[in-house]
Amino acid sequence: MFTSIFQEHKGFGKQIFLLAKNELIKTYKGAVIGPLWSVVKPAFTIFVYWFAFSVGIKAAKAGFKVDIGASKAFSVDFFAWMFVGIVPWFFIQDSIIQGAKTLRTNRQFITKVKFPVSTILTYTGLSRLFVHVFLVLLMYAYMIFYRVTNGMAPFSWYDLQFFFYCPLLFLFFLALSWSTAPMSAFSKDFESLIVSIMSGVFWLSGIMYNSYNPDFPTGIKYFMLANPINFFANGYRNCFLYNRGFWVYKTELVIFLVEFAAVFLLGIYNYNRLRKKLPDVL
Amino acid sequence: MSDAIITFKNVSKTYILYKNDQARFKALFIKPKNPKTNKALNNVSFEITRGESVGIVGDNGAGKSTLLKMITGVAFPDEGDIIVDGKVAALLELTAGFSLEMTGRENIYLKGYILGLEDEYIKEIEENIIDFAELGDYIDQPVRTYSSGMKMRLGFAINVNIEPDVLVVDEALAVGDASFKRKCKDKIKEIISSGTTVLYVSHSAESVREICPRSIYLRKGTVIFDGPTDETLQVYQDYKESVKKKIESAKKK
Repeated sequence: MFTSIFQEHKGFGKQIFLLAKNELIKTYKGAVIGPLWSVVKPAFTIFVYWFAFSVGIKAAKAGFKVDIGASKAFSVDFFAWMFVGIVPWFFIQDSIIQGAKTLRTNRQFITKVKFPVSTILTYTGLSRLFVHVFLVLLMYAYMIFYRVTNGMAPFSWYDLQFFFYCPLLFLFFLALSWSTAPMSAFSKDFESLIVSIMSGVFWLSGIMYNSYNPDFPTGIKYFMLANPINFFANGYRNCFLYNRGFWVYKTELVIFLVEFAAVFLLGIYNYNRLRKKLPDVL
Repeated sequence: MSDAIITFKNVSKTYILYKNDQARFKALFIKPKNPKTNKALNNVSFEITRGESVGIVGDNGAGKSTLLKMITGVAFPDEGDIIVDGKVAALLELTAGFSLEMTGRENIYLKGYILGLEDEYIKEIEENIIDFAELGDYIDQPVRTYSSGMKMRLGFAINVNIEPDVLVVDEALAVGDASFKRKCKDKIKEIISSGTTVLYVSHSAESVREICPRSIYLRKGTVIFDGPTDETLQVYQDYKESVKKKIESAKKK
């Protein structure tokens, strides 16, 4: 009972890859520039935010000061800083919204044929991960350019921490969808609730501003630390900007790991609770 | 007998009818108090042995589809146990599970994977499937370009060619033109004579009599009669007539 999600995945690896590939093809086939659309949308979003903040509000000029606590302060280019933080956000946003909708949109796999239902969440998530990795590669290319033009070494050992953060990013939001997807399939209101809070969540997360701001009162500081999206935005900055190990800020890491465990267990609980009712309600 | 391939043990299934969307939302967190329910199956027990052909008859809403969904593993019972010991192919939703952007050939593999088959085995039966479906060069085109008849043919071809242990057939099935329909009927008969267990669902007495020596009659989720097809159909017929009489006498009043 407790392990049904794992049983459903056993021996299904090949199918998951095939279906993830199919999911990508489905999304971009028929468009002239095809997969490039996966870049156009984020690129435009990044431009808009950069324009609003750097040109419009003039809040962030070159030499944007970032204080990451522990008496370490940085002076970085706002654009590079935002770019690195917003790339995981695109994945997070898609994962939360699409992840919640996935079971409803793939209802034929639930109500018409016998299918390991939880793998639907895995292969759709995987297809989003492909897009994410592609975006990360573009961002990395920009970061190399940024480092070289600012007189830094083009590569850093800290870059390798991407292989710590990225799988964690995938797993965290996969485990979250074990709860949200069956619940959204059950009740459209739940789905709408998730969709409507998402744009707000963006502004509550440290993507456009520094969530480590030392001027924050303690309450707000912990509110920020409790938001797992900050963990990933800051994590990617640890890799590519701050040259900081993921183990350095222990409070942040521990809070995240506790939350991850909770989301994981809750996901298994909710999935098992609702799985057998899904064919009846979809 | 221990040779049962399908066993239903006191299986019950109740659908909860939510009053509205709010009730549904609430049910996510709190168990609903005295909800309206529809008992689709009520304490159903039977055994089907390997190689047997069994007809299932009953009016609309008798629980036939729920029963079949449980055998194919799509729906789950609230109470009781179901044991299905073998590979099930269902001629119910032929086009379900197809991925429209993939080619027919890729879909053969996909469907095979879903049914738990290995690559080598699918490779073996691939040509049979393509031959049977009569798709020609279309087999390497995306399924989205297929006509609905072609999709049905491919679905049918996959399901009958995987050598299932249990074949579930809905009589309402209509595949392609007359000549292909005949081919399908012949194939089903061939499968039956090869010793595969067949479950055959129908409204019409004649086709059940033709195929199945044993039948189960369901009414409102309960097994009313389970025995030789002739006797089952007699019981079903009697019930229909008694209902007709009741209606007529009600009209007279």
